[in-house]
Amino acid sequence: MEQTPATQPMIEALGLTKRYEDETLALDNVSFAVRTGQIYAMLGGNGAGKTTTINIFLNFIDPTAGEARIDGIVTHKEPLKAKAKVAYVSENVMLYPNFTAIQNLDYFARLGGKTSYTKNDYHDVLRRVGLEDEAHTKRLRSYSKGMRQKCGIAIAILKDAPAILLDEPTSGLDPKAGFEFLGLLTSLRDEGKAILMSTHDIFRAKEIADMVGIMNAGKLVMQRTQSSLAGENLEELYLQFMAGSVERAA
Amino acid sequence: MIRFIIEKELREIIGSTKFAVTFGVCSLLIILSFYIGAENYRTLVDQHEAAKRENLRQMEGLTDWFAVQQHRIFLPPQPLATLVTGVSNDIGRMIEVHGRGELSADDSRFNEDPIYAVFRFLDLDFIFQIVLSLFAILFAYDAICGEKERGTLKLSFSNAVPKEKYILGKLFGSYLALAVPLLIPILIGCVLLLILGVPMSGEEWARLGLIVVAGLLYFGVFLTISVFVSSLARRSSSAFLMLLVIWILAVLIVPRSAVLIAGRAVDVPSVDEIASQKNRYSSQLFTEDRTKMAGYKPAAGQDDMEKTMADFNQFMQKIADERDAKMQEFSGQLNEQRENRQRVQRRVALGLARFSPSATFSLAVSALAGTSLSLEEEYKEAAVAYQRDYAAFMMQKTGMLTGGRVMMFRSVVDEGKKPQPINAHELPEFVFPKPALAGTVTESLPDIGILMLFTIVFFFGSYLAFLRYDVR
Ligand SMILES: Nc1ncnc2c1ncn2[C@@H]1O[C@H](COP(=O)(O)OP(=O)(O)O)[C@@H](O)[C@H]1O
Ligand SMILES: [Mg+2]
Repeated sequence: MEQTPATQPMIEALGLTKRYEDETLALDNVSFAVRTGQIYAMLGGNGAGKTTTINIFLNFIDPTAGEARIDGIVTHKEPLKAKAKVAYVSENVMLYPNFTAIQNLDYFARLGGKTSYTKNDYHDVLRRVGLEDEAHTKRLRSYSKGMRQKCGIAIAILKDAPAILLDEPTSGLDPKAGFEFLGLLTSLRDEGKAILMSTHDIFRAKEIADMVGIMNAGKLVMQRTQSSLAGENLEELYLQFMAGSVERAA
Repeated sequence: MIRFIIEKELREIIGSTKFAVTFGVCSLLIILSFYIGAENYRTLVDQHEAAKRENLRQMEGLTDWFAVQQHRIFLPPQPLATLVTGVSNDIGRMIEVHGRGELSADDSRFNEDPIYAVFRFLDLDFIFQIVLSLFAILFAYDAICGEKERGTLKLSFSNAVPKEKYILGKLFGSYLALAVPLLIPILIGCVLLLILGVPMSGEEWARLGLIVVAGLLYFGVFLTISVFVSSLARRSSSAFLMLLVIWILAVLIVPRSAVLIAGRAVDVPSVDEIASQKNRYSSQLFTEDRTKMAGYKPAAGQDDMEKTMADFNQFMQKIADERDAKMQEFSGQLNEQRENRQRVQRRVALGLARFSPSATFSLAVSALAGTSLSLEEEYKEAAVAYQRDYAAFMMQKTGMLTGGRVMMFRSVVDEGKKPQPINAHELPEFVFPKPALAGTVTESLPDIGILMLFTIVFFFGSYLAFLRYDVR
């Protein structure tokens, strides 16, 4: 097994640049790193380039320049090896409407290479993400968006990967569920996961993130550790850095 | 890995309400087509027997074989031909046989009873064509783009899943999930054939088995086409629309336009044209012979009436034979010319039609059922062979052949005995051999091959399209 230096980040972007076929420059030389036991919150308005970043980490698209690495593995060079170490929660996953929560979990756990889970493990993880027992055996078609999101998080937890990528995971959750979700993320971090989460929810980001990055028009315009944010008003900073895009929109 | 994907595919498809409803309707139609085929077969057997009885009955009371004017043979019904009707209802089933002259088949079943034209839409060929293709499209149009819309494709590929395994799992999984259940109504249909007492030989079961195999292959064509389109489209609604267009082209438009185009491109003299040419020639020959007849003089010094009559008959037979030979040569030429043109036209039509998997399937199964276009020729051939037997029989019974404008004298010698009635059952029986397994298989092979080719092309098409598919 390859010796990993203690300092090597689990999730790392190095000069990441993406220019789409239609010449949109979605990412412009973005670099950041997330270490084991850290939560990195990527803030930014619509079109800032958050989803593009995460898609490159999952090799859904290739970067135009630069590299995305998971545990040192360059994702566009060895995608399968990199993906084995990533769990992913997308912005809006519908899952299989004809399957129950348990059946959805079972399928995706197997795809993720976990074949030894029992029914009880599935019930446990569903409880952990806040789904009531009677919902476990219901078909997903009867689920609300928030419940589906919880199910998606349960799938990510089951994969038990060292890196977790979340693309606006709280967008469909009500405030209470959003709050519970933060607790869940912190407990995953404490288990030693490296977590990269994109969001436009400034308050939650400030609450739990060890590191906050603000993206605007494909550029990482600000990056601060939690401690350096302690005395600052993140909302003001955010608006300040977003000013450019706000003006453009107006 | 592939196993999980196949298992998931099975569970997802079979567990859906859509499946329960659609599968129910498809099953009903398939079973219905078996039932109607079996019932039809029994009715046709009755009709066939009655027609044969009637043919013999009209000879009852005749005391002279010479007086037999109308002897008819009939194309016997066959179990597979009622399941996959092919051309069997369009061609003439009845042939009036004379000792000499050209044979022509009349009275197609549509002719007798237009209701049979409706049954065309309930035969196994048609039901399979429609039901299997729609069934495939309905369940596979969103195989890929539907998963994309639900976000499950992204989630699946956030795992270390190779794309090629995923698409293979999809193709095999959906095929298994849909094709295996379809065997249930087909099996029920087979049991129905047994219960309704349709006599099927071992070879016929084997041919039916191959018809089912062709059906599964045809289903595979549409399934792979659907997955292919699904992995080209971004949205499932556009995939569905596109598949609908493909379906209409394949099932309705291409086969019909192939016939139309071939009809325009290749001229075939009409039957009426040919018939009038033959008639003209026949009259001409007859006029010539009439002068010969008028010039006939009994041998001089002959006063034995019997001998004179026999000479005359011999003379008449001789000129009839000559006329017959000339006529046969002439019609042979005309027929051959027409058949050649027709063959070219058919080849063009079928060649074009084979761009449609439905037409190809139909050709394959009608070949297996023995109801392809060649049935007409085979029936003619069998009838011509029978005509020889019949002629030999008549020759033996009467010493001469009837038919073809022969005028003859018979002296009825009443020796005081009451003439004995003829026994119509002495007539040689017309048997139409059931098509042999090997022959039908050979005939169907090119079309089975084309179906396989379609499947392979679209299988790899789906495979390659999916490797390039944007899962986001
Ligand atoms: N497939 C694509 N082709 C062209 N441009 C795209 C594509 N996907 C995203 N974009 C553009 O890239 C920019 C970044 O998009 P995205 O990463 O989705 O932003 P975010 O997730 O932060 O809202 C946007 O301007 C968007 O319009
Ligand atoms: Mg986004």
